[in-house]
Amino acid sequence: MKHTSILVISFLMLSATAFFSQKTTDKFPYKDAGLTERQAAEHLLSRFTFGVRQGDIDAAVNMGLEKWFSQQLQGNISDQDVDKRLESYTALRMSNQQIVEQFPLGAQLRNRAIKDGLIDKNNVGDDKSKLNEVYKQLSAKYGIQHAKELERQTVNQKVIRAIYSKNQLHEVLTDFWFNHFNVFMGKNQSTQFVMAYERDAIRPNVTNKFKDLLMATTRSPAMLTYLDNFLSSKEDDFESGPKMKNNKRPKGLNENYAREIMELHTLGVDGGYTQADVLNAAKILTGWTIYPMRRKGEENKIANLLDKIGEDRLASRGFIHEGDFLFASTRHESGTKMVLGKVYDQGGYAEGVALLNDLASHASTAQFICKKIATRFVSDEPDQKLVNIMTKTFTETDGDISKVLLTMVSSLEFWNGNSLRQKTKSPFEYAISAVRSLNADVKFPMPLANWITKMGQKVYYYQAPTGFPDKGQYWINTGSLLNRMNFGLDLAGRKIGGIQFDIEGLLDHKEPESARDAIDKYAHIMLPERNTESTVSRLMPLVSDPDFSEKVVKANKNNKNNNDYIEEDAITTDLMTQNNQTLAQVIGILIGSPEFQRK
Amino acid sequence: MNNRRGFLKGGSLALIALGMGGVPNFVKAAVAQQKTTSRKKVLVCIFQRGAMDGLMAVSPYTDPYLKKSRPGIFMEPGVGKSLIDLNGKFGLHPSFKSFENLYKSSKLAIIHGMGSPNKTRSHFDAQDYMESGTPFKKGTDSGWLNRALVQKKQSDSVFQGVSLTSSLPRSFYGEYPCLAVSNFNDFRISTKAGKALNVSAATSFEELYDITANELQKQTSRESFEAKRMVEKLNFKNYNPANGAVYPGSPLGNSLKQIAQLIKSDVGLEIAFAESTGWDTHFNQGTEAGIFARNADDLSRSVTAMWHDIANFQDDVVIMTMTEFGRTVKQNGTNGTDHGRASCSFIIGNDVSGGKVYEKMKDLSIENLEDGRDLPVTIDFREVFNEVAFKHLKVTDTSKLFPEWGGKNLPFIV
Repeated sequence: MKHTSILVISFLMLSATAFFSQKTTDKFPYKDAGLTERQAAEHLLSRFTFGVRQGDIDAAVNMGLEKWFSQQLQGNISDQDVDKRLESYTALRMSNQQIVEQFPLGAQLRNRAIKDGLIDKNNVGDDKSKLNEVYKQLSAKYGIQHAKELERQTVNQKVIRAIYSKNQLHEVLTDFWFNHFNVFMGKNQSTQFVMAYERDAIRPNVTNKFKDLLMATTRSPAMLTYLDNFLSSKEDDFESGPKMKNNKRPKGLNENYAREIMELHTLGVDGGYTQADVLNAAKILTGWTIYPMRRKGEENKIANLLDKIGEDRLASRGFIHEGDFLFASTRHESGTKMVLGKVYDQGGYAEGVALLNDLASHASTAQFICKKIATRFVSDEPDQKLVNIMTKTFTETDGDISKVLLTMVSSLEFWNGNSLRQKTKSPFEYAISAVRSLNADVKFPMPLANWITKMGQKVYYYQAPTGFPDKGQYWINTGSLLNRMNFGLDLAGRKIGGIQFDIEGLLDHKEPESARDAIDKYAHIMLPERNTESTVSRLMPLVSDPDFSEKVVKANKNNKNNNDYIEEDAITTDLMTQNNQTLAQVIGILIGSPEFQRK
Repeated sequence: MNNRRGFLKGGSLALIALGMGGVPNFVKAAVAQQKTTSRKKVLVCIFQRGAMDGLMAVSPYTDPYLKKSRPGIFMEPGVGKSLIDLNGKFGLHPSFKSFENLYKSSKLAIIHGMGSPNKTRSHFDAQDYMESGTPFKKGTDSGWLNRALVQKKQSDSVFQGVSLTSSLPRSFYGEYPCLAVSNFNDFRISTKAGKALNVSAATSFEELYDITANELQKQTSRESFEAKRMVEKLNFKNYNPANGAVYPGSPLGNSLKQIAQLIKSDVGLEIAFAESTGWDTHFNQGTEAGIFARNADDLSRSVTAMWHDIANFQDDVVIMTMTEFGRTVKQNGTNGTDHGRASCSFIIGNDVSGGKVYEKMKDLSIENLEDGRDLPVTIDFREVFNEVAFKHLKVTDTSKLFPEWGGKNLPFIV
């Protein structure tokens, strides 16, 4: 009996395994590319996480690379650590309406202060400290905060998620898709809408169908304001609707969004559309706008009017109100339109939905999106063969992003020499990966974010709708390279605020056997599975010769006798005499090294 | 800069300086050629962010409607009055006083009624359009100054396009590598860990990047360290401006001072970019004193200081200001002005036909105003930018600078 049951159980287990391995993907073809499993793990992790931490490779290998990837695609690992770190970011749990109430923009605060008599309208002045005092009073009175605080929370939550999220692939994809559907935080009200844009339109859809992303971004207040579609209305709408104060806002058709949705979001600039297509797409999308939001302590006449009409009557007039989105049928241009040779005559909201679905599944879109994905994850100049097989998957699966990614990772092109270490880390990726490799505890992300800005990437602040260019040449330039080196030195030297880490702890507090051993071990942690021979040998003089830096100083001084850049006292007071300072320098140089800039 | 050009220049000039007779003809030829071909024309662009009130900067003070519309902020020339009369029609705000001499000596041209054909009154959009150079297209991935550099011949200088800002301005977006540095004092291997560490770290980095197999990294690091050494030599920290020029201690003053150093050290600068901020004067714009006056004072004194500082290089340099739009003709309820349409631009250079206000303005009666409220745009900014690019920078094929535009240049450069 016993034997039989064991047999049955093991048979069940076997068949379960067989079933499972059939259901998941085939093995990734890294062996065909000449990689060991550990090398492959390092490559996979460096592309689909924000940097390889100590122990990550072991964990991925133990789990199996294919399983690791499919788990990351699911992206539903519970993550109490991140939840806890994000606890104090109140805006993350607010709707756009609540954010608009809670975090007024500077100009709105100033107007409020004038209305409340806290400052004299004839004597506002530009005394910053006085204004800040007034803002404090206002904040206390209304329980509100300056929009700068919202901005801080938005940036910080991105940094924290990137460093600590267990669902790394989803964070990387959130960064990728946000950049694809870029919005700019510096444009008026976009500041208030960016948090919810990333949270509600981008993050939940990063592995879904492409059309889901497209629909969510089109209807999002951030995109509607950034590319002006919220203003766009039928041509003859000059007089209808509530009159805007000072006639500030131009009435009528606005083509901005219609153009960019084709050029940047779907078809690509060579996607085969014409100016007439742009014009007609703009007409189709007239009336797609934002449901008016109330500011604290202010009347909003349009919102009052809509409330008075009531949801039922609005619906019966063809209005659609879903969350922040409003389709205002009264602003929609009627009549038949033709885009890319197809007739749209459904009328109203349905027209736009049909257009978006058609754009999302267009052959040009499939090519354009797949090439962009391959450029991000494989190389700056991806092989057209690879793009073609990804495009095929895109087309066959109605734009299923997960399937497209799986096709990419299952291709030899992902693993071969044209891909390995060929991508340059963006400043954000670089800084986050450095912090991850040190296993650091980032209590206050802002100083780190400021460094990322200094290296050329102010997150949420890329002005053009193209998003940051995804090319090594853009990131590695004369202006930025020295900053990258300085970042490594400052980070390892503990000169960046809000970050704690334990250098000895990285070696399990085991004393290295020799200086060479120490450098080797740290190089192995920072640059796992890479050939670090030449890097290490260049770093040896730093530790093996205690007088090394003094010699360098003297040599420099002798070479440039009229150079007052190195001052006298530098030699005597600043010399590093302590081991940990030397160690910090070695680690700083490893971080700033050319190898560490690549992924 | 140990290239052939540098050697020839240094060597030949040294020979002449020593008074050695019989300078070989080939050296003479090299020197002569030097003057015409290798000394680069320089354009310094200053973006006035926030939209300057052109009607206050260069005021059509004889217009009765303007006077009526601005009871709290109107200014005029005359005894006991402060506006500087330029030509009986326009008057310069007194805080631009240091521009007066430049105007009188015909070095300064004022372009009035300048702006974008796109009617947006959003700062963001209008700046974006002016900097991309495509007023009806958001998605243009490059800026007009970057495209100007692409059109120019390749140069081996890393200082060809320099912006004195922390990140690249929209005008410099694009394929041509440009440098954004907020302060050249920071352009070095520098940590708070101490100077000795910095020197040894710099050595290590330079070696590591020199042996890397990645060409982009290797090449860029060579340029970076070359530039770093040059910046050290230029010694930005202890710079003494020439001709008693005194720069304001403002961000703009510091930016222009550093640009002047680059110009004078002949490191290959062709386009420089700096920013002047605070022009969004909705509240208490002021008259002789106040926010506008402070900004105008800072701008004009910074620019004038730079102009004097680069005295020996003035033939090669044009300085041009720009702002995204102008402001309402009428003052608002808070003694300020709101977002309008056209503003004005100051352009300084020896090859500029200055001492003149270039304008096609009609009187400011309501029917002549855009939307009944704003000074209309009568000079497209592209007429002006294109003139500077073509005549001064010698960009021969300007069709790529402003691809949607088929207009004619406003002729104001000799």
